[in-house]
This record gives sequence, C-alpha cells and structure tokens, in this order.
Amino acid sequence: MSPVTPPEHFDLTGKKAMIVGAASPAAAAIARAYAEAGADVALAVLHADDSVMAAKRLQQEIEAAGRKSAVYVMDVTLGRNVQVTTRQIAKEMGGVDIAVCASDLFLGKPIAKTSDSELQQVMAYNFNAHYFVARSASEEMMRTGGGRILVLTHVLGERGLSNTSAYGAAHAATQNLVRSLSQELGPHHITINGISAGWMDWMTDRLDESDDDAGRAVRFTLARRAGTPEDLAPLALYLVGDGVGYVSGQIFHVDGGLTQHL
Amino acid sequence: MTLESFRMDGKAVVVTGSGRGLGKAMAKALAAVGANLVCAARTPEQIEATVAEIRADGGTAIAVPTDVSKSADVDALVAACVAEYGRIDVMIANAGGGGGQAPAEFFEATDDYFEGVLGTNLKSAFYSDRAASKQMVAQGGGGVIVNVASGTALRGNQQFAYPTAKGGVISLTKSASTMLAKHDIRVNCIVPGYVNQRPPNDEQESEIRRNRGVRVPVRRLGDWWELGPLAVYLASDASRYVTGEIFIIDGAGLAGGLAPVSFAPQHELGAAS
Repeated sequence: MSPVTPPEHFDLTGKKAMIVGAASPAAAAIARAYAEAGADVALAVLHADDSVMAAKRLQQEIEAAGRKSAVYVMDVTLGRNVQVTTRQIAKEMGGVDIAVCASDLFLGKPIAKTSDSELQQVMAYNFNAHYFVARSASEEMMRTGGGRILVLTHVLGERGLSNTSAYGAAHAATQNLVRSLSQELGPHHITINGISAGWMDWMTDRLDESDDDAGRAVRFTLARRAGTPEDLAPLALYLVGDGVGYVSGQIFHVDGGLTQHL
Repeated sequence: MTLESFRMDGKAVVVTGSGRGLGKAMAKALAAVGANLVCAARTPEQIEATVAEIRADGGTAIAVPTDVSKSADVDALVAACVAEYGRIDVMIANAGGGGGQAPAEFFEATDDYFEGVLGTNLKSAFYSDRAASKQMVAQGGGGVIVNVASGTALRGNQQFAYPTAKGGVISLTKSASTMLAKHDIRVNCIVPGYVNQRPPNDEQESEIRRNRGVRVPVRRLGDWWELGPLAVYLASDASRYVTGEIFIIDGAGLAGGLAPVSFAPQHELGAAS
C-alpha cells in the first residue's frame, strides 16, 4: 500500500464512526476527537434514559463542527439488537468504517456476595457487548473491504485485585477477544485493538470511600494522577487512521504507567 | 484539541539509526509535524541523505555521525542537539542491528559475539536514554524517550543474542519509566515485527515479500513508513498519560502464534466434559 504521512493518517475526513456506550466520558472524548479529525459519528447509548439527552447534546456539538451525527439506543446485552442497530447506522450514515465499543459496568464485591444475576450483568456489559459489537461491525466492514474496531477495556483484565473477580474476568475475556479476532479478521483488512484504561477520573467512585487511604490506587500510578477522557482520545485516533493497518491484536495501556512497575 | 496534541513544532528530537529504514521513516514523520531533527548513525552519507530529504520537504534537520555503542559518542550526540537547538525534548533510541549469524549451537557462542550484540542493541539504548534524560533534567525536566526493541524479544529465536538484548530494551523501558516519572519524562518502547526497511528493488523482491507476508495474520509485511504515525503519537503530547508501555506493530503476529495463521478449527458444540 502507498505510504501515509502523519497528517494524512490523523485525517478521518469521510470516515463513518460508530461509538457504542457514547454516554461514557471516554467515548464522548473519542467522539469529539473523531469529529475534529473529520469523521461523521453515530452515537449509540446503552439505555433509553438521561444518556439519550446527553448524547443529543454531543450530537449537536458534532453537527456544529460540520459533521454528520445521530443518536441511537443500542441494547448491547442482546446480539440481535446490536446487529439491527448497527445495520441501521450503516444505512443511515453510509457505512461503518470505525467501530468503538466503550460498554462498561463495574462491580466491586467479594465472590461470596456476588449473585448469579450480578455476574451475568457484568459479563454482559464488559464482554458480551464487545463481542456483539465486533461481530456486527465486522459484518458491515467485510461488505466494504475493511475497517477498524476498537474496544475500551480496563487494566483489571490483566491484574488480580480483591473484589473484582467478575469484572476482571470479563475484561480479560474482552482482551483475548481482541487477540483472537485480530487473527480471524486480519485477512479481511479489519484491524482490532484495545485501549486498557487505568484509574481514570470518572472511575474514582470505584475506590472504597470508607477507606482512609483510598487515594493509594492513584498514587500507585507513576503519573501520580488519575487519567482523563482526553488522555485516551489521541490513542483512539491513532488506532483508526489509514496508516495503522499493521497494528492489530494489541491492548495498549493508557494508565500513567500503573501496570509497568512492581 | 486532539489533533493539536500531535503537533511537535519547535521540539528538538534525536533519532539514532536514522540513516535508513525505520529510523529514517520516523525522523521524516516527526519533521513533518514540525519537529527539529538531529539524525544520527555511523554512516555520514546516509544521515546526510535523510537530512537533505527533510530539508527538501521544508523541515529542519542536522546530521551527527555517531557510534551508539560508545557512550562518549552518544553524550556528544546529545551535546550536538543542545548546541544546535538549545535543548533536547525527545530521544528516539532506534539504532541497532542483528550482529550477524549466531552459531548453530548455543554453547558455542563466544564472549565477543554476545557482548557485541549487547553493545549495539542494549547498551546503546541505555547510553541514549541516560544522556537524554540527564540533559532533560538539567534543562528543568520534561521530555520523551522512545526505545525500539523487536518482536523477537517476546518469543524465542535462534539468533538468541539479539532477542536477549531487545528483551533488555523492554525491561530498560519499564524500569527507566519508574525512575524518570518524577522528572516528567515518559519512556515507551516500539516493538516492530516483520517490517520492510525500504521499497522493493524489483519484482523478485516484491514476490519474496508477498510470500513471507502470507505468514502474517494481516497477510502482508509491514512497511517502513508505518512507523511514522506511531512515532508521532509516542513523541508528542498525545501520549501524555502513557509511560513504560510497549507498542507492538506486527500485523497481529504476537497476538496469535499457537499455530500457522491459516489454522482455524471448525468444531460444533458437543457436550461439556
């Protein structure tokens, strides 16, 4: 393929992006970055609640920048719903070149107190959702000759931590989904990668408020601060440009160095 | 806002091993987003050619012949960057090389062979990271270091000394990131897989590359220029919350590897056992 210069790589003009879980701070920052780079952006929220209004405001912001945008409700717990909504997005936006899944549901509980229903929900939002989005998005991308899939995952998917057995296992599953699908989708010119977040500023409610030293998790980060949505957005842009076709099957940490030391 | 974070206007960047291949591609990419380059390698003619290409595109660059296996040379390289641009903001420690054929039997490798490969590939990265970080701290802190390892570091390989040295580069990256974070210096590492160093010379070479590419999950080898956007991401503020990380660019090779890429089991659900 012909060389792509950095300015060309970071230009998404004409690309159609589908952002699932668009109400999350990370997804919103990524949507803004893609729109800034020239892409049209479909915003899929997970529930028909207040998140729809938040997504509508983001849609207006994106449209004001001159891009096409629309809001959808996608029930990511149901594969069929993800498929139908993805097809609708492809039809209305003119394709799906880029799919980002930011679905996430945290649970911090000892295994003895975790109910069957809680385990199922954690698996549904942290793993099944990514599986369904990758399945439906890749189906659309195969029609058009390729694309980029990006999943947002968490460092707890590769490190043990008390009370996160369900959440960590679900994210571990998502991270291996990335590795497996990179092999399966590679011949179809579809890349799939993951961004693994550390302690981000919108996740501070995950830390135990009754713990006098709850800040220790952030202090364990080399950067000595929680990450922000804007810290994730540039990597999410790098991973979907035209020049990134040789990067696939990888989980990249945006964690301020959290996972890189003893 | 996000796009601006990839700009490097006025940043002083050293790229070792930038006379050809991936180093040259990274130097040109960084110049294309506004960085001022110092191109280093042993062969003056090659880095002068890189500098000429950057200047022809409207960029700023100088050539500083350097043997990265000698620490005094590397210290002089950083001093040359400071003399030219007043500071150093980014060190891309890319220089390295295979070190020739390893002996067929592991136990026949000589001290000279092993130490030579470590010198070119591991000590060189330490010298580069040390010289750059020392200057970065002296000028008030803040900066970026990018080391370049190899996918062979993460899997066994019968060239053993090269993967061992590159494995050391990955560990160096992680440990240096823990020591330099307090100075606001980030250290990351690029891990390339099978990447062509230049355009093919003829159709025969293209054919060889196509045949080798079939063994990569994305069904092709990488190309030199594909390192450009990654170098820009890692060297710029775009990666401000990323340190100690390895960035594998290998066509999904390391994500697989339990079987040849064409192997895809077909099996319907049976009873669980």
